[in-house]
Amino acid sequence: MNALLEVRGLKTYFFAESGVVKAADGVSFAIDRGRTLALVGESGCGKSVTALSILRLVEPPGRIVAGEILFEGRDLASIPEKELRCVRGDRIAMIFQEPMASLNPVYTVEGQIVEAIRVHRRVSRRAARSRAIDLLKRVGIPAAENRADEYPHRFSGGMLQRVMIAMALACEPAVLIADEPTTALDGTTQAQILDLLKELQEESGMAILLITHNLALVAEAAHEIAVMYAGKIVERSSVRELFEHPLHPYTHGLLGSIPRLGAPKGRTLPAITGTVPDPARYPAGCRFHPRCPAKEARCAVDEPLLEEARPDHTVGCLLVEGGVSPMEARG
Amino acid sequence: MNETASNSPAAGAAGYWRLVWRRYRKRRLGLAALAVVVFLAILGAAAPLVVGTRPIICRYQGRWYFPCLYYYNPRWENPVFFKDGFRFTYYPRGLAEKDPTSIALWPLVYADPYRRVDVGEWRGAKGDPNRGPPSLRNLLGTDAEGRDVFSRMVHGTRIALLVGFVAVGIAAAIGIVVGGLAGYCGGWVDKILSRLVELVMSVPAIVLILALVAVIERPTIWHLMAVIGCTRWESIARYLRAEFLRLKETDFVAAARALGVPPHRIILRHMLPNALAPVIVSISFGIAGAILLESGLSFLGIGSEPSTPSWGRILNEGFNTLGGERPQWWLVLFPGLAIFTAICAYNLVGDTLQEAMDPRIR
Repeated sequence: MNALLEVRGLKTYFFAESGVVKAADGVSFAIDRGRTLALVGESGCGKSVTALSILRLVEPPGRIVAGEILFEGRDLASIPEKELRCVRGDRIAMIFQEPMASLNPVYTVEGQIVEAIRVHRRVSRRAARSRAIDLLKRVGIPAAENRADEYPHRFSGGMLQRVMIAMALACEPAVLIADEPTTALDGTTQAQILDLLKELQEESGMAILLITHNLALVAEAAHEIAVMYAGKIVERSSVRELFEHPLHPYTHGLLGSIPRLGAPKGRTLPAITGTVPDPARYPAGCRFHPRCPAKEARCAVDEPLLEEARPDHTVGCLLVEGGVSPMEARG
Repeated sequence: MNETASNSPAAGAAGYWRLVWRRYRKRRLGLAALAVVVFLAILGAAAPLVVGTRPIICRYQGRWYFPCLYYYNPRWENPVFFKDGFRFTYYPRGLAEKDPTSIALWPLVYADPYRRVDVGEWRGAKGDPNRGPPSLRNLLGTDAEGRDVFSRMVHGTRIALLVGFVAVGIAAAIGIVVGGLAGYCGGWVDKILSRLVELVMSVPAIVLILALVAVIERPTIWHLMAVIGCTRWESIARYLRAEFLRLKETDFVAAARALGVPPHRIILRHMLPNALAPVIVSISFGIAGAILLESGLSFLGIGSEPSTPSWGRILNEGFNTLGGERPQWWLVLFPGLAIFTAICAYNLVGDTLQEAMDPRIR
C-alpha cells in the first residue's frame, strides 16, 4: 500500500560560514492515513528541520540538498514554489511550539482563521467567518462567538494552541505536522491538547506527524515512533514494540531516563552521558558511539544502516544481532 | 479586562496602541506638544477660513460658490468672478455692486496674504499701512509691501505643514519600500540596498537642493518637497529593515508561510503593521526636520516663489530691515516663534512617542 506521505533520504544542510551543518542527513519515513507518527529525539537532533523541510519552509542558509517528499503523487521537494503554496495550509498544515508567538498580535483570532480559509478557498467573508466560529467551537473554545473578535493576547497558551489547531484544520488537511505542540504548555493542558488532536484525527482520518522530545507523551498519542539522533533516524517501530523491545542503545537511554513511579528509592535517574555532537562535525562510524555504553571498536569505523531486526521494527545499530539489543546482551 | 495580559510583550495591536496612548497620556509635555501639533494642523488646513479676502461661501446671481478655495489652488476660483472683474473690485464691493441680493460668509479676519488691502475695501477699512507695527487692524503688523503678517503667518502654517507632510510622505514611501525589501529579501538585495542607503545618507539634502535650484528655472515649493523627500528616507528605511529582519524570524510569520499565505500578503498584512512603531517616530522627527529645512531655505530666499507666504521668507524680510533705520521686529519675532514652536512640538511628540513605545519600559 502506498503511504500518504513518504519522505525518502531527506538531507537538509545549513551552509554556515563555519562549515556545513547537516541538520537532517538522510531521513526516511512514511505516514498512512489516520495514523500518528512521532518523531522523537533530543534538542538539536534535526526533528524540527525535518518537519520544516516537508513544506520547504527552511530558510537560507538552510537548503534541501537531496531526498524526495512524496505526497499525493507529487514530490514536494521539487515542485514550484507556487504549487507548493497550494499544499501548505490546505493539504498539509502545521502547528508550532509557541502558540503565543505563532499568532499575529495585530489581528483578531477570527480574522486569522478567516485568512487561513480564504487563502485557499473562494468563499465569502461571511461564510469564512461562520466556519471560523464553528472551528473554534470544535476545538473547545468556550463562548467562541464572543471570543472570536478578541486579540491573541487575551487568550491563554492552551487556548491559543487550540486556536492554532483550528487554523490548521480550516481547510481539512490530509496531514497535520505538529512541531512540539505541547512543550510550552503545562501538564494538564498538554493532555487536553493531545486528546483533542486524537479526537480530530478519528473524525477526519488525517495523518499526524508529531514532533516531540517527550517519550512519555508519545506513548499516549502516537501509533508509530521514529527515534532521531544526530540528523538520522536510528530506530523505527510501533509504539508498543518500541517500549517493549527497544533495540538501539540510544532508545534504551531515552526510555531509562523517564522517571517512574515505584522505582527503588534513592536510586538516581539514569541519564545518557555526554552531549549531542556538533552537527557540523559528526563523529565517524556510528554517530552515537562516543556516548554509547555498549560500544565496540568497529562502531567508530563502520556506519550502521537501518535494518529490519524484528518484524516491522528497523534499527540502525551494528551490535543488534538476532533482534536482541546490545544492552540486553550485555545484561 | 486584565492588566497583566495587556502589559505582556505579546500584547496585541489594538491593545498595544491603547497601551502606547495610556503611557503617552502620562507625559504632560508630550500631551501639550500633541495639542500644538493638532492645533497647527487644523489651523493650516483651515487657513482660508480663518483669514482671507474671499468669502468662504457665497450666493451670487442665484448660485452658490466657494471662492476661498482660491487659496488652496488659484485655479479653483470660479471663472465667473474673473469674468466679472472681481480682481479689480475685490469681493466685498464686487458682490455688493453686481448682485445686491448676494449673501456671503466671510473668514474670521479680513486680510490677504498675497496683497495689501486697499482703502475702503472692507467696511470702511483705512487700508493696510506700509510697514506698520502690530495694531488692532493688523494683529501682527504688516510687511514692506503692506501685506498683513498675521494672514501670511496663518497661510504659512499651511505651507509649512504641506512641506512637512508631503516631503515626509515621499520619504516614508521610499523608505518603507527600500527598508522592507532589504529586510525581507536579505542576501544580496539587502547588501545592495544597504549600500544605497549609506550613499543617500552621505549626500546632504542642502547641497542637492542648491544644485537643483541652479538647474531649474523657476523652482517651486513642490520641487523642494520632492528633494527633501528623496534625501530624507534613509532613517525610515534603516528602522524598517531592522524590524523586518526581526519579524522574519518570528513564529507568526513562519506560521503564515506554513498556511500558504503568499509573500506579498505576508509583507503587507503580517509584517508591516508590526513594524510601524519606529517608523511613526521617525516620521514625526522627519516632519520637524522638513519644516526646518524649508524655513531655512526660504530664509536664504531659495526654493519657493517670492510671493509664497512661507515663515522663512517673512523672517528673511524682517531680518533685512534689522540693521536699517526702521527695524521691523515683528517680521522677525512672530515667524521665528512659529518655526520654533512647530519644530519643538513635532520633536517632542516624536520623543514622547519613542518613550511610550519603548518595549524596555513596559
